[in-house]
Amino acid sequence: MEILIYGTINSVALALYALGFALVYGICRLPNFAHGALYVLSGFIAWTVINTLNANLLVAVVVSLVVTGIIGAIIYRLFLIRVRGMEISEIIASYAIALAILEGLRWGGFRGMTYTLPVFIEGSITIGGISVDYQRILVVVVGAALVAFLWLFTHYTRVGLALKGMAQDERAALMLGIDSDFMAVVAMGMGSMLAAFAAVLLLPLGNIVVESGYNVLILAIAVCIVGGLGSWMGAVLAAFLIGFAQILTVVYLGAHYQMMVALLAIILTLILKPSGLFGQQKELEERV
Amino acid sequence: MKIGTRHRRQERIDRGIKVRTDGLYALMSWRELSYLVAPRLLLIGGLLLLPLVVPGMYWQRVISIVCIYALLALSFDFLAHYVGLVSLGGAFFVGVGGYLTALLNTELGASPLVAIPTAAILGGVICTILLLPCLPLRGVYFAIVTLMYPLFLARVIEALNILGGTDGIMGIDSFPYVWLEQYGIIIMLLLILFGLRRLVNTDLGLVMRAVKDNDQAVKASGMNITHYKALAVFIASSVGCLAGAYLVHTYMWAGISIFALDFSILPIAATVIGGGGTLVGPVLGCLILVPISELLRDFGTLRIVFYSLILLGFIVFRSEGLMIYGQRKYHQFERWTDI
Amino acid sequence: MKTTHGKLMMILLIALLMGLSSGSAMAEKPIVIGCPLATAFLYGWDAERGVTLAIEEINAQGGVDVDGKKRPFKIEVIDTRDLEPGVPVSEALLAVEKLILDKKADFLIGGPVRSEAALAAMPLLSKYKKVSILTTGVLTPKYHAMVAENYDKYKYCFRIHGEAKNLVGEIFTNFGDLKAKYGFNNLFIIAQDVSHARGAAEIIKKVATGKGWNVTGLEIYPTGATDFSMGLLKAKKTNTQIINIWMDMPESAILLKQWYDMQIPALPFGSTLAAAEQPGFWKATDGKGEFTLCNVVNAGNAPSNATPWTMKFYDAYTKRWDVEPEGLGTSSSYMAVYVLKDAIERAGSLNPDKVVAALEKTDIMGVYGRLRFDPKSHQVIPSTDPKEGAVGSILQWQKGKRVVVYPKSIAMGEIQLPPWMKK
Repeated sequence: MEILIYGTINSVALALYALGFALVYGICRLPNFAHGALYVLSGFIAWTVINTLNANLLVAVVVSLVVTGIIGAIIYRLFLIRVRGMEISEIIASYAIALAILEGLRWGGFRGMTYTLPVFIEGSITIGGISVDYQRILVVVVGAALVAFLWLFTHYTRVGLALKGMAQDERAALMLGIDSDFMAVVAMGMGSMLAAFAAVLLLPLGNIVVESGYNVLILAIAVCIVGGLGSWMGAVLAAFLIGFAQILTVVYLGAHYQMMVALLAIILTLILKPSGLFGQQKELEERV
Repeated sequence: MKIGTRHRRQERIDRGIKVRTDGLYALMSWRELSYLVAPRLLLIGGLLLLPLVVPGMYWQRVISIVCIYALLALSFDFLAHYVGLVSLGGAFFVGVGGYLTALLNTELGASPLVAIPTAAILGGVICTILLLPCLPLRGVYFAIVTLMYPLFLARVIEALNILGGTDGIMGIDSFPYVWLEQYGIIIMLLLILFGLRRLVNTDLGLVMRAVKDNDQAVKASGMNITHYKALAVFIASSVGCLAGAYLVHTYMWAGISIFALDFSILPIAATVIGGGGTLVGPVLGCLILVPISELLRDFGTLRIVFYSLILLGFIVFRSEGLMIYGQRKYHQFERWTDI
Repeated sequence: MKTTHGKLMMILLIALLMGLSSGSAMAEKPIVIGCPLATAFLYGWDAERGVTLAIEEINAQGGVDVDGKKRPFKIEVIDTRDLEPGVPVSEALLAVEKLILDKKADFLIGGPVRSEAALAAMPLLSKYKKVSILTTGVLTPKYHAMVAENYDKYKYCFRIHGEAKNLVGEIFTNFGDLKAKYGFNNLFIIAQDVSHARGAAEIIKKVATGKGWNVTGLEIYPTGATDFSMGLLKAKKTNTQIINIWMDMPESAILLKQWYDMQIPALPFGSTLAAAEQPGFWKATDGKGEFTLCNVVNAGNAPSNATPWTMKFYDAYTKRWDVEPEGLGTSSSYMAVYVLKDAIERAGSLNPDKVVAALEKTDIMGVYGRLRFDPKSHQVIPSTDPKEGAVGSILQWQKGKRVVVYPKSIAMGEIQLPPWMKK
C-alpha cells in the first residue's frame, strides 16, 4: 500500500521535473540543459520574495513563476536562438548558461542548507494506515491538474495548437503563418514556468541548494529519454515507470541503488530503443 | 554598400604568399618555406620552452595540467569534427586510464614508464568495447550516453566498493625523473597532435571524414561503418586514457573523483574557444583557459561564472573559434572592391 | 625648470626612504597561513571564519613571537571546491600546491576538506615539508593511521578535531544511557552514500549488535535521493526507537521534515548531520527539526561551559560574523591557529621539523578542553573531561535552541523525546 502511495508521489515529482524539459525539446528541438538551473533559480527567487520583502507565499509563488518564465524567454531570445539547429552548440550553450546561473547563485551567497520554502498546507492525514503529509498530496493533485491543463491547452487553444503544430512539422507551421521564432520563445517561457512550478511544489519538502540543479537535470533527461524525446505523454508515462522502479528498488534491493536505476534506465533505453517509449523519430534517423 | 555613387563590397582573397606556397612551389625560397613552417615551429618551440620560462614550480605543474586537458580536448575534437561522434564523456577515458595504470602500478608493480603506455592501449580497448553498443546511435543520443557513462561508473565503483571504493588507490609511484615528468607529456602531446593531423589526411582519415559527412553514402559504398567508428573511438580513447594515466602518476593518487564532470567539460570549452576542426585549436584553447582559470582562483566561485560566460559568448557569437579566425587572417586578407 | 624637477625628486626620494624605514619598523614579514578550503560549503567557511577570527585576535595583540621578533599572521584562502561532486581531487591538490609554491604559505591550516583529497595531499605535504593541521571535514581514521604507520614521511600532518572513531564512541555512550532510561533496544541506521558515512554505518551496526541492540535496518541513500518514506516507514513498522543518521548532504532536511510529518516514533540521532549544525536549521525546517540530535565533534561549536575560553570564543565569533558558530570546524580552526602560535613561540623558529617537535609537546587549555596531540599519530587526544583532553559535543534542538546534552561534564540540558513517543 505504501509502495502505491509513495510510488505515485515519486512518479508525479519526476514528471514535474521532466515536463518543462520535454515541452521545450518537443517544440523547439532544443535540449535545454539550463532546466535544472532555472528550477533552483525560481526557488531562490521565491525565497527572496518571502524573506526580504516579507510577502506571503502565494505572492512569492506567482512572482517566481512569472519572473522565471521571463528569464527563460530572455535567455532563449538573446542566446539560444542564435544556435538554433546546431544540436551540440545548443547543449554546450545551455549548459554554459546553467553553470553561470548556478555558480553565480553560489557566489552570491546562496550556500549552505538554511534556505527553504514553506509548505502550502501543514499537517498530514492517514490513508490506509500510512500517514502522508498534505504537501505531498498537493503535489500529486497539482501535478495531475497540470498535465490535464497542458493537454487541454495544446488541443483547444490557439497558442497551444500553434505549439503543437510546430512540434509536428515546423515547415508546415511556417507555411500556415505561425511565427516559429516567437512560438519558440513562448515555448521556452512556458518550459521555464513549468520548472518553477515544480520548484515551488517540491522544494518545500526539503531545502534549496545549488547542487539540486544538477540532480534535477539528470532526472529530467532520464525521464525524457525513456519516454521519448519530444513526446510529453511519453515523459509522464516514463516518469511513472522510473518512479515506481526507484521505489521498488528501495524496498526490495536497498536505497543504495536508486540513482543507479535512473542512469541505468537511460543507458538501456539508448542501447535498446533510442527513441524511447513514444519517441517521434523514425528508426532510420536514430541509428545508422 | 554605397559610397557616393559607387557600390563597394568586401571580398576575401588568399594572400599572394599562400598561393605561391601551394604544392611543390613551397620549396622555392626560404621565405615561402618559413611562411609554412613558422606557425608550426612557433607551437613546437613555444611548448618546449614553456617549462623553462615560467616562474616557479607551481606554474610548471599548471603546464602539465594544460597538456593533460589538451590531450582530452584533442580526442574530443578528433571524434566530433572528424568522425562526427560528439562525446561528452572525456571523464570516462580519464577514469579508465587512471584506474588501469593505478592497478598496474600497485598490483603488478610496473614502473610508470611501462604502466602508462600499457594503460593507454588497454584503456582504449576497454573503452571501445564498452562504447560498442552505442556506436550506431546518432547525434544527441551518443552524446548523452557518453555523458552518463562516467557518472554511472563512478556510482558502480562506489556501490560495489571495489578498486579502493571512495578512498581511492594510494601509494602510486611518481616519475623517476623530474624532467621526464615535465617534458614527457609535452612531447607526447606534440607527437599525437601532429600524428592525428597526418592521420586525417590518409585514406583512413578520409573514410572517417566521410562517415561524418554522410554515413548513409559510406554504408552504400559497402564499407562497415561500425568498424571505422570503433577504430576512431579506439584512437580517441587511447589518447584520453594516456592523459588519465599521466594525471594519476603526477598526483600519485586515483579515486572516483577522477570521473568528474570537469574532465568532460573543460576540453569541450577549450575546443569551442580554440576552434574545432583544426586539431591545434583545442590545444590553444587549453593553453588559454587553464592558466586563466588558475589566475582567477582568487575569486573563488566567480571564476566558474567567468569561464562559462566566456564559453557562452564564444559559442553563440564566435563559434568558429580562435584558431580558425587566426588561420583565416593568416592565409587571407580582405579588401574593398568596386562592384 | 631644473630646480623644480630636482626638488620634486628630492621630495620623492625622502618620502620613499621614510616610507621604507617606517615600514620595516612597523610591519615584520608576515607568517603566511594557507587555507585550502571548500569555501562555498559549511565545512569550508566554518574553518575560514574560525581561522580569520583567531588571526585577527592574535595580530591585535602584536602577533607571534618568533625568536624575539614579533610577526603577524596572514591568511591566504584558496577555494578547493573539493566538496562539489563534479570536481576531481586534482583541483584540491592543485590548490594546495598553489598555496605552497605560489603564495609561499609557511603553514597549512584547515583542509583539504574531503577525506579523499586530504589523504591524497599527504604525499605532497611530505614532499614540500609543510606542516599542516586539519581542522574541518576529514573524519576518516585512516588519516592518523597513515601518520602512525609512516611517521618519517607523514610527520608534518596533524589533525586537531575529533574523528569518526571518537564519534562512534560518544554515540554509544548516549545510546547506553537511553537504553537504561527508556528501555530502547531497536536501532535503524540511515547513512549517506559516501565512504566515511558508509564505513561508520557498518561500524555502528557491528558494535550495536555486539552490545545487544536490535538493528532493524541499515539504509544507504545516494546523493540526489528525494524521498525517505520507505526507510522511515520500515523503521516505524519495526518499532524502532532510535534512528542513527550519518548525512551531511542537503537532502537530510527532506528526511527530517518527513520524519516530523509522519510522526515516526523514533529519536533522530544524527552524527555529523551538517544541516542541523547550523543555527539557521530551525527556520529552515519550519521548526520540524525539533528533537533532532547531532554531533558537532568539538565543544565550542555549540554553547557550553567546557572551559572559560568556550563562551569567550562563542561570543566573539557571534559578534564578528553575526551568526553563532556553526559547523564542526569553527572551534577547531580557531584553536589550530593558537596552537600553531604556541608551537612556533616554543620552537623559536619557523623550521618545519622544529615546529613539528614543538607541536607534539603542545599542552594548552583551549576552547574545547586540554589540547594535546598523540606523539605518534598526531591526532588530538580526546576525552570526556575538559581538563584531560579535547571534549566533543552532542546537541539537541529544543524549542528553537541548540542545547548541548553530552558529555555530562559540560551538558546544558537533557535529551528530550518528541511528544508522540511518550506512551
